[in-house]
Amino acid sequence: SIFEYNGSAVVAMVGKNCFAIASDRRLGVQLQTIATDFQRISKIHDRVFIGLSGLATDVQTLYQRLVFRHKLYQLREERDMKPETFASLVSAILYEKRFGPYLCQPVIAGLGDDDKPFICTMDSIGAKELAKDFVVSGTASESLYGACEAMYKPDMEAEELFETISQALLSSVDRDCLSGWGGHVYIVTPTEIKERILKGRMD
Amino acid sequence: MSRRYDSRTTIFSPEGRLYQVEYAMEAIGNAGSAIGILSKDGVVLIGEKKVTSKLLQTSTSAEKMYKIDDHVACAVAGIMSDANILINTARVQAQRYTFMYQEPMPVEQLVQSLCDTKQGYTQFGGLRPFGVSFLFAGWDKHHGFQLYMSDPSGNYGGWKAAAVGANNQAAQSILKQDYKDDATREEAVELALKVLTKTMDSTSLTSEKLELAEVYLTPSKTVKYHVHSPESLTKLLVKHGVTQPAAETS
Repeated sequence: SIFEYNGSAVVAMVGKNCFAIASDRRLGVQLQTIATDFQRISKIHDRVFIGLSGLATDVQTLYQRLVFRHKLYQLREERDMKPETFASLVSAILYEKRFGPYLCQPVIAGLGDDDKPFICTMDSIGAKELAKDFVVSGTASESLYGACEAMYKPDMEAEELFETISQALLSSVDRDCLSGWGGHVYIVTPTEIKERILKGRMD
Repeated sequence: MSRRYDSRTTIFSPEGRLYQVEYAMEAIGNAGSAIGILSKDGVVLIGEKKVTSKLLQTSTSAEKMYKIDDHVACAVAGIMSDANILINTARVQAQRYTFMYQEPMPVEQLVQSLCDTKQGYTQFGGLRPFGVSFLFAGWDKHHGFQLYMSDPSGNYGGWKAAAVGANNQAAQSILKQDYKDDATREEAVELALKVLTKTMDSTSLTSEKLELAEVYLTPSKTVKYHVHSPESLTKLLVKHGVTQPAAETS
């Protein structure tokens, strides 16, 4: 499958008035590793992040298109997009290419106006799937489901959430040949954004 | 028979003039004025808002100052509905450039693309030209801080200090006298306010009638576009002594 060409693992979790989004750092071409510092998670603005799993070239192009559309929204409305609005935008852009889709599965995480966290994922043609606890995508998604299912607790504070998402990510990518080589974690609270780079099994 | 060369924009008069374009410029001469001044550490834009009625709900956002991209802003004089169309195309152009080349659009290129649009309306189809003059303030890595002025014909030029709208000739000549090449941004603001007091119809400046915006570099070398709030504008007006203490109104 073309979704498994480069390998990826993306996960987002909700905490108490905060959220975390994390991804692996590997860029491969099937079983050969090309880079170990690939960015799959991008900041849209201070309160909304998007992680894109799937084909790396489409990940970058889709992100650039989203920046384009978000920037025009910012200029016209003189405010940032709400996470729910942004998710609908991503969904609409993906569905535009219904019969020749961007080969990525997005994970969107953000904080709303009342500091309420929002997470969602969708398939490559924009069918939204909302969740209250965690969302996963990428080649490691099956093992991520298991790890998150076992480790997740509701209403975690930022530090505990970081620990949980990191452990879930690292243990999952060890069970997947195509993702791994450390991790990239963002913890977003109403007041600050923490960005951390994880070392895992670097092989 | 002067109507003969008026009705279509695409026709030259025997004297070699395009009347519709000249009428468009005339329309701008009645609009609230805007002044732009280049200084060594930034660009200052100031605009006069025409208060048509006190019953009119004033909009919360700036009326004459528009951000085009993170590094470019513009001030408008003329027909606002025409301006909105052009501002929208300018914003889309800037984002298209960024999407294509992953870097901010050079300021002059942006001004040029907008002026190409304006020019098109003076030549093709039985349409009227845009009744808008712009002042563009921006920064790019090629030429640093820049100030451009454009008119309905699609002409543009880079300026150290420029004025558009009502009384622009008077403003221009004061600017010519008092502009200093090594002025700081603060001095540029002072000069802009001074010019506006002299060219505006009303005697005293108040924050309701003005809009002030600046484009400058932050210490971390990112471009910042800042529109002053009415409060900070009032402070500036008092500081530079261009406002009279509030007159009693019955």
